[in-house]
Amino acid sequence: MTAVTAPAGAAPARERLAAALSAAARTGLAAWAIVALLVAVLTVADPGGFWTAANIANVLTATVVLGLVALGQHLVVLTGGIDLSVGSTATLSALLTAMLIDGYPIRTIPTILAMLLLGAAIGVVHGLIVANTRIPAFVVTLSTFYLIQGIAFMISTTPSGQVTRALADVGMRRFGPFPLALAVLAAAVAIVAVLLHRTRFGRHVHAVGGDAAAARSAGVPVNRTLVLVFVIAGTLAAAAGVMLAARATIGSPNAGQGLELSAITVVVVGGASLLGGRASLAGTLGGVALLALVESSFTLLQLPATASDLIRGVVILAAAALFVPRSHRE
Amino acid sequence: MTAPALEARGLVKRFPGVTALDGVDLVCRAGRVHALLGENGAGKSTLVKILTGNQPPDEGELRIGGTAVRLHDPRAALAHGVSAVYQELTVLPELSVLDNVMLGQEVSRRGLLSRDRQRDTARAALRRAGLGDLDPRTRAGTLSAAAQQLVEIARALVRGSRVLLLDEPSALLSGEGLSALHAVVRELAADGVAIIYITHRLEEVRALADDVTVLRDGRLVSTGPADAYPIDRIVREMVGRDVDAVFPELAEPGAEEVLSVRGLLPAGPGAAGPGLDLTVRAGEIVGVAGLLGSGRSRLLRTLAGVQPRAAGTVTVGGSPVRASLHAAVRAGVVLVPEERKTEGLVLDLPVRANTTLSSIGAVSPGGWLSAARERAAFEAERDRFGIRVSGPEQPTGQLSGGNQQKIVLAKWLRTRPRVLLLDEPTRGIDIGAKAEIYRIVAGLAAEGLAVVFASSELPEVTGLAHRVLVCQGGRVAGELTGDQINEERIMHLALGTSREAS
Repeated sequence: MTAVTAPAGAAPARERLAAALSAAARTGLAAWAIVALLVAVLTVADPGGFWTAANIANVLTATVVLGLVALGQHLVVLTGGIDLSVGSTATLSALLTAMLIDGYPIRTIPTILAMLLLGAAIGVVHGLIVANTRIPAFVVTLSTFYLIQGIAFMISTTPSGQVTRALADVGMRRFGPFPLALAVLAAAVAIVAVLLHRTRFGRHVHAVGGDAAAARSAGVPVNRTLVLVFVIAGTLAAAAGVMLAARATIGSPNAGQGLELSAITVVVVGGASLLGGRASLAGTLGGVALLALVESSFTLLQLPATASDLIRGVVILAAAALFVPRSHRE
Repeated sequence: MTAPALEARGLVKRFPGVTALDGVDLVCRAGRVHALLGENGAGKSTLVKILTGNQPPDEGELRIGGTAVRLHDPRAALAHGVSAVYQELTVLPELSVLDNVMLGQEVSRRGLLSRDRQRDTARAALRRAGLGDLDPRTRAGTLSAAAQQLVEIARALVRGSRVLLLDEPSALLSGEGLSALHAVVRELAADGVAIIYITHRLEEVRALADDVTVLRDGRLVSTGPADAYPIDRIVREMVGRDVDAVFPELAEPGAEEVLSVRGLLPAGPGAAGPGLDLTVRAGEIVGVAGLLGSGRSRLLRTLAGVQPRAAGTVTVGGSPVRASLHAAVRAGVVLVPEERKTEGLVLDLPVRANTTLSSIGAVSPGGWLSAARERAAFEAERDRFGIRVSGPEQPTGQLSGGNQQKIVLAKWLRTRPRVLLLDEPTRGIDIGAKAEIYRIVAGLAAEGLAVVFASSELPEVTGLAHRVLVCQGGRVAGELTGDQINEERIMHLALGTSREAS
């Protein structure tokens, strides 16, 4: 058997390159390599503008909301699912945060907790439906994507509410190049990383996405794992909504529009397989950094913001073409 | 006498149109290896699914250690101490070997995985399964199928179950892997585990089994101690009739050289050294033997243009064939692949569509697919090969392995090939259907087809081939013809312990 498993020493250069690329995508190195490249380009293009504390803080601020939804999406994609509703959930949460607080400091903490619970409840619904019916996650969350957005519009069609000074500070304050909001993302990353890599739950997430039937026959509680994953995704989306409200100081019924696609973009660029079972957290975070860089450099380089979608499309296709691991067979 | 470790009485399971199990009893005692035998479709898989909680029985009673139980899902079965190594690999390729072994039974303290204890437990289990040299951090997807099978056995070892079901654990194993498996099975039985062992390799029954149960058509044929079951009784009871000759008489090959290969070298890691020279005449059947990973499959896949060549020429009837699947098929070289369910068939399509998949032009006059012609084509093949189906619209995935294989054969033969390549032509096929496949292949050769087949089953290679090539370490280690062909010489060449290796 050693003959079959041992890597061959004399592999041709092309195969070695393909193997290196697929390893880079697998470990998430690929996304970071592009980030480094982009940073180098931006440094050369605008040395005075890019490395200022204000601009770095700008880029980092852009990672917070995106990062929170992307972490949730990461987990869902690992199980082989997809959550299209995270943008709508963030919108509803942002709108309700501002409207319920409405400027009263005493309401801040209870409102935030209520929003996180709301996100978790949405996740429970998603998880139970996906786990117990044969309806794919894509369809389930496509329907709630519209439902939740619709509820937000029923509550208000115009920006309304007002967050407190303290909450707005969390959204906007910065220490040199480091925005305070980054701490929220850092905490979320730490929690998800430990869950994924140091707990039974994390192993089960990988197993369910790899092959649900195999996982079930190995005694993995597949349904419980699925529900928990959607709960985490919903909670993180709601947290992203709170951060959106904090940054805007008011709640908008369009606050989180497009976040679901951004989150999927990030996870894909990070080297995850949408079929489940394979995704690297480092890669997803690299994807977050990449997208935040791309978005914020439009203003920096004074490019037309309308080109943003074009760039996004190119980035996704390029990442997929380069880094989607090719399947090798003996 | 203590209660049996597992006792099933009167199990019945009905599916639409078929009764898969019809009042089957099974009694397994602690410390004994119980061989469960039967052709494909006899009900073994259904029985496994019921015993492991994957499917509830419609009727019948299950007792574990004397207590009546209901197993509504696999977790319930595991909780009662019944675990299984399934026929289909359930190794998760993206997880490490360690995570695979510990899957569903992770050790954690205060919510966090306990790395040291996980690693020690996994290591111990891997060593017992004969994978002591393997780094548990290896990604499971990089292992050979045989090694993955042993990883599954290690997983079952960690559970410390009272009843262990092994559903064709040896199908992918040969040589060391097989001996390791047998050693593990004996050791577990000595530890008091009741083992249910399903296999198509009847020589394993003699080597391992204490008790035997034979199923046929969903019914219990007989059960008793293994001593009372010589191989011919097993075969008779499995098939329901005497199979006097499994292998047909071979006709003398013709004189015309159909396939001619010079210096062929499959591309890929370690492609070096002298390539393969091979000439196959019309009507000749060449068997390719060798251990798993010896390059048998790669050789056939390269001939069929599925895998690229590093060097060499292939000519059919004197004209050269480029290294592509398309060119090979056009030149009349077709491959019946090892992976029938993924590479040979589209399982969700009806049988008629699979039959015409590679020759769809022939049933599409003027470019429009004619349903009537397709059905007629299918019916012709069905009658020619005796394919048992409910009708042309039956989804191919519902057929037994033997009937599926006949569809793959029919699909390729409709392209009027001159060279037929078969990779493990009877893998996962029961004895009755095997004999039919052998008869079909011998008949095709008698009609003038040149046949090359690769097989891990030595009786098949010795029984069906005019000539045998033995692969070892990616090269052809030797060639045997006529009286030279016997299992011993093949094994020597395959293991590289022969003096006559060229």
